[in-house]
Amino acid sequence: MFKSLAGRALIPVGLAVTGFVVVCFFLLYAAIKNIVTRDSISHAANLADTVLKSTHYAMLKSDRETLGSIIHNISEQKGVEHIRIFNKSGMVNASSRPEEIGRQVDKRSEGCINCHQSSVPSTRLGTMEQARRYSNSSGIDVMAITVPIYNEPQCSNAACHVHLPSQKVLGTLDIGLSQTVTVATLASIRNQMFIFTIMVLVVTIGGVTALLRRNVFLPMQKLEELTEKAETGKELPSVPSRLPRELDRIAKSYYNLNQKLHRTEQELSAAHGIGTTPATADSSR
Amino acid sequence: MPQQEDNLTSADSATAEGAVEKRRQELEQEINRLKRFSNRGLWACSTFLIVCMLAWRGFPLLPLPDLIIASLGAPPPPNVISMVLLLYTFSAIILSLSRLMGNIEHKSSFSHVGYLTGFFLFYHIAKALDDNYWAVFGAGITILGVESYRIWSFCSEQITVVSEQLAYISRTGRLPLEEPNSAQLP
Repeated sequence: MFKSLAGRALIPVGLAVTGFVVVCFFLLYAAIKNIVTRDSISHAANLADTVLKSTHYAMLKSDRETLGSIIHNISEQKGVEHIRIFNKSGMVNASSRPEEIGRQVDKRSEGCINCHQSSVPSTRLGTMEQARRYSNSSGIDVMAITVPIYNEPQCSNAACHVHLPSQKVLGTLDIGLSQTVTVATLASIRNQMFIFTIMVLVVTIGGVTALLRRNVFLPMQKLEELTEKAETGKELPSVPSRLPRELDRIAKSYYNLNQKLHRTEQELSAAHGIGTTPATADSSR
Repeated sequence: MPQQEDNLTSADSATAEGAVEKRRQELEQEINRLKRFSNRGLWACSTFLIVCMLAWRGFPLLPLPDLIIASLGAPPPPNVISMVLLLYTFSAIILSLSRLMGNIEHKSSFSHVGYLTGFFLFYHIAKALDDNYWAVFGAGITILGVESYRIWSFCSEQITVVSEQLAYISRTGRLPLEEPNSAQLP
């Protein structure tokens, strides 16, 4: 296989094309996944911002009933897994799951560690750093985003409950969105890309193979048959037709050479026949 | 005088025999060298697979990406690394096919293992190795596969040429005629 003309011509091309297309497939899929994930995080960040703006007045007035109602209504929306509001010390003040209210969260846990990894917690994080992914107890992929609730002049000046103006972050909002649709979309894109890649490979390698067979391998086979016929010592009937120019030239040269060889052999045998007749005659005398 | 001529002739033939023997040894050494060289691609592939195993485990011997970022600074974004990987794969394949076409002896396999390890490390530090592992793996297998084939086919061809020369020496006891394309041989 490696020694034949077909093997030598097709193996490197096949390997290079297949490998390059596969690399492109993986890189393109990684880029698409990155874009889809960014979109998903951006969507979660917008929703978190909407929740913060919706609950702003209720929090300012310390109206826990309205706050709970808003959070409950938003969490009813399709794809929202959870909404929690933590105070500064990490206790759940409001949640879409009432059983979580009053629970303390570990600051070293995922989602908190990004800000709390040093003794002085970070107050600013990029949108991508605020997001985390995990599978919840039901096995659903969740994209959660934690956004800080910043202190504002209205908060520190409010008469109802006082926050010090120096306190930058009052608490955090944690919102989790189901990734089921995103995962399904990515799987669909991956399958379509896989089928597309296979089709490109089949067309490319099939096309190269077909062209090589039509233009190189079959004419070479005809040439091989011609030389095999010549080896048997018989006179060649004709030159194979419809060969590519270069191979046609070789075939014609070989044919002409074979014809000359046959003529010379005939002349030699004729001369030998003429030469031997008198000698035979002489010897018979 | 005739005795002197006889001495000269025997000295010449001894020199010629010595040259033939030297050439035979050179050719045998060359065959051994080519046989060793033809395995170079496979050694490079094996080394790359070891690097792949380390990358799969997240380079356990290296410090954590955050520590590397703290000491060396932020790595390039993953999409920039991917663009460079794509360009590198394309160039490496074209270069390898050109060398295959030109029947050029070039020892480049292990340098590719180095470049590919670099890509693994950059993705690892940029925390994007999970998404791009198979891309680097595919690129490595393709480039090293084409390189291995190129080196193997070059060596096979050269071993045939050298073996023919060796057979000529054994058959005739004379130095073989140099072929026009055997300039790379010793």
